[in-house]
Amino acid sequence: MEYAIQATDLSKSYGQGHTQVDALKGVNMTVRPGELFAIMGPSGSGKTTLLMILGLVTEPSEGRVLLEGQNIYNGTGLDLQRLRREKIGFIFQFSNLIPFLTAKENVLLSLELIGIFGRQADARAMELLEYLEVADRAGNLPEHLSGGERQRVAVARALANNPAIILADEPTAALDTERGLSVMRLLRKVSKEQGTAILVVTHDTRMISEVDGVIRLMDGRMVESDGSKQQSQPQSSR
Amino acid sequence: MNLAIKDIRYHLFKFITSTIGVGLILMVVLTIGGIIRGVILDSATIIQATGADLWVVEKDWLGPFVEISRLPEDYYHAIQAMHGVAEASPLATAWVHVERPFRPTPLMKFMYMNTVIGTRTMVRPGWMAIPHDLRFIVIGYEPGHIGGPPVIVAGRGIEASHYEIVADVRTGLQIGERIRMGDFDYTVVGLTKNMVAFTADPVIYATLDDAQNILFEADPDLLRNIRRRTRQQVLGAAQIAPRLSDPLANQASQIAENVSLVNAVAVKVKPGVPVETVAHEIERWKHLTVYTSAREVNMQLMGSNRLILLQLSLFRLILLVIAGVIIGLITYTFTLDKLKEIAVLKLLGTQTRRIYAMILEEAVLMGLLGTLLGATLEFASEPYFPRRVVATRGDVVQMLVVITVIAVLASIMAIRRATKVDPRSVLGT
Repeated sequence: MEYAIQATDLSKSYGQGHTQVDALKGVNMTVRPGELFAIMGPSGSGKTTLLMILGLVTEPSEGRVLLEGQNIYNGTGLDLQRLRREKIGFIFQFSNLIPFLTAKENVLLSLELIGIFGRQADARAMELLEYLEVADRAGNLPEHLSGGERQRVAVARALANNPAIILADEPTAALDTERGLSVMRLLRKVSKEQGTAILVVTHDTRMISEVDGVIRLMDGRMVESDGSKQQSQPQSSR
Repeated sequence: MNLAIKDIRYHLFKFITSTIGVGLILMVVLTIGGIIRGVILDSATIIQATGADLWVVEKDWLGPFVEISRLPEDYYHAIQAMHGVAEASPLATAWVHVERPFRPTPLMKFMYMNTVIGTRTMVRPGWMAIPHDLRFIVIGYEPGHIGGPPVIVAGRGIEASHYEIVADVRTGLQIGERIRMGDFDYTVVGLTKNMVAFTADPVIYATLDDAQNILFEADPDLLRNIRRRTRQQVLGAAQIAPRLSDPLANQASQIAENVSLVNAVAVKVKPGVPVETVAHEIERWKHLTVYTSAREVNMQLMGSNRLILLQLSLFRLILLVIAGVIIGLITYTFTLDKLKEIAVLKLLGTQTRRIYAMILEEAVLMGLLGTLLGATLEFASEPYFPRRVVATRGDVVQMLVVITVIAVLASIMAIRRATKVDPRSVLGT
């Protein structure tokens, strides 16, 4: 399959008539497996709306989204909750690990959601934690982990379902520059080694050096796409 | 992976303290149920222990325990001879008070403090120091017939025809102790157990003759007065039959002094004979009122005890509702604390039913553990209550079912709140 995710003429409006707000207007983009893209833009530019549409939690007003070539919206009647747990991984600003589950259990939960239980799930969870170098913290609750460790566990959780795409919402915002860069390098490593497409929403321009391309949004429109470093350039309608 | 258990493990202190609170309320609910059952058992104890099928009392009276009926002792011979009657036993019953030295218990002092508040004018100062009336019910029976103590836990049964009694352990009397009732002293020769009236007053068993003396014998001054007045009335006819005047006067005064009365006749019906048929026959031929044992118990329950039982039942119901509200509020606040996690779980694609199950399981678990804790505390505290408190395993099972239903209902509010959690809320923040 050529693209992990492909969005065509995506628009999203809230409200009606004179109260209508256009959060996204005609956005086009494609991301291939193994690519790491940053979505940048000021507050209110539509970054989160784009993330919600790509994360299958908000339906676009217009346009089409193909996830691994499969049309998601447009009255297809697909079980989006199921697609989300099977095909998408999420990483959040504050990691948002479930506080009452240990690091390993947080990963196990994602595995259980896709029907992997028991020893198989256990082995996979430990494998991911080892890969992300936090295996020694497997039995710790999130409150006993450092910010960087939490994000590593969050990445492990996002990878658990072997997703088509990982959507990361400001994963470095709560970290200092060094730890932020460390997380970005980790995401880059994951995308390359695991072949996973990753989209990172970030404000931090210092992180650009680690990504394959940048999608810049302004007032809901894609104003610029810098795909100079990417293997396949994201497309813009404008 | 059970999310509810994991969450409880994480919020262990909060869960335990909440469960203890629920458990204490449910302990009170179970205790009140035990008190209600205790009153019911107390109401049925004497009736059931006697083993009688029918209770024959004075016509149109409710006796023998609800009202004091009186009928001649020898009626029981005629009843004994009726078709279908296996045994008829005359009984004399009445409440008696004996003054005893009294030392206030801590519970009594606590009650005193509560009583004084708001009722100062009604309570005589120092009332706790007033000698205590030991109140009990005396049951006189003919040894060898039904109506006596069903079990002797210490000492022996009544063997002499006079001045021996068997007392319930709750009277506090000891074997060999002598108490004065009427004009005579009686010796405690045996102790029985769990024999109390529907008022929870303990029972003292005596022979029928002794009970009749205690209950019906008049004061000597009153007897002298009766003799004098009766004699004067009879002597008025001396002019007609002078030689008969003295014997007639003596006879008349003896009639007035007659204590050969009983309060009821307990009847045991022969096997296979319908109880109702025998009751109808006795009423028809002897012009007496007959109650079945069930009716007798019912009269005691729905008579004096009716309002207090209803009062307790309503209080129990209110507490149950309060327990439900508390479980609901705790579950709701537990859920409010997890709104962000619920949003994350939804975003990760967790099945909605699994999230709702987590909320529900926590509420049900709290209810069930609270019930078990409440039951344990209730059973442990039963012996310390002044009146009989009897909760059963059946009560606990019933409470487990009820509290499960309540917990499910109480979770609805929290689940409704969880349904409103938008998974998008964790994005862009």
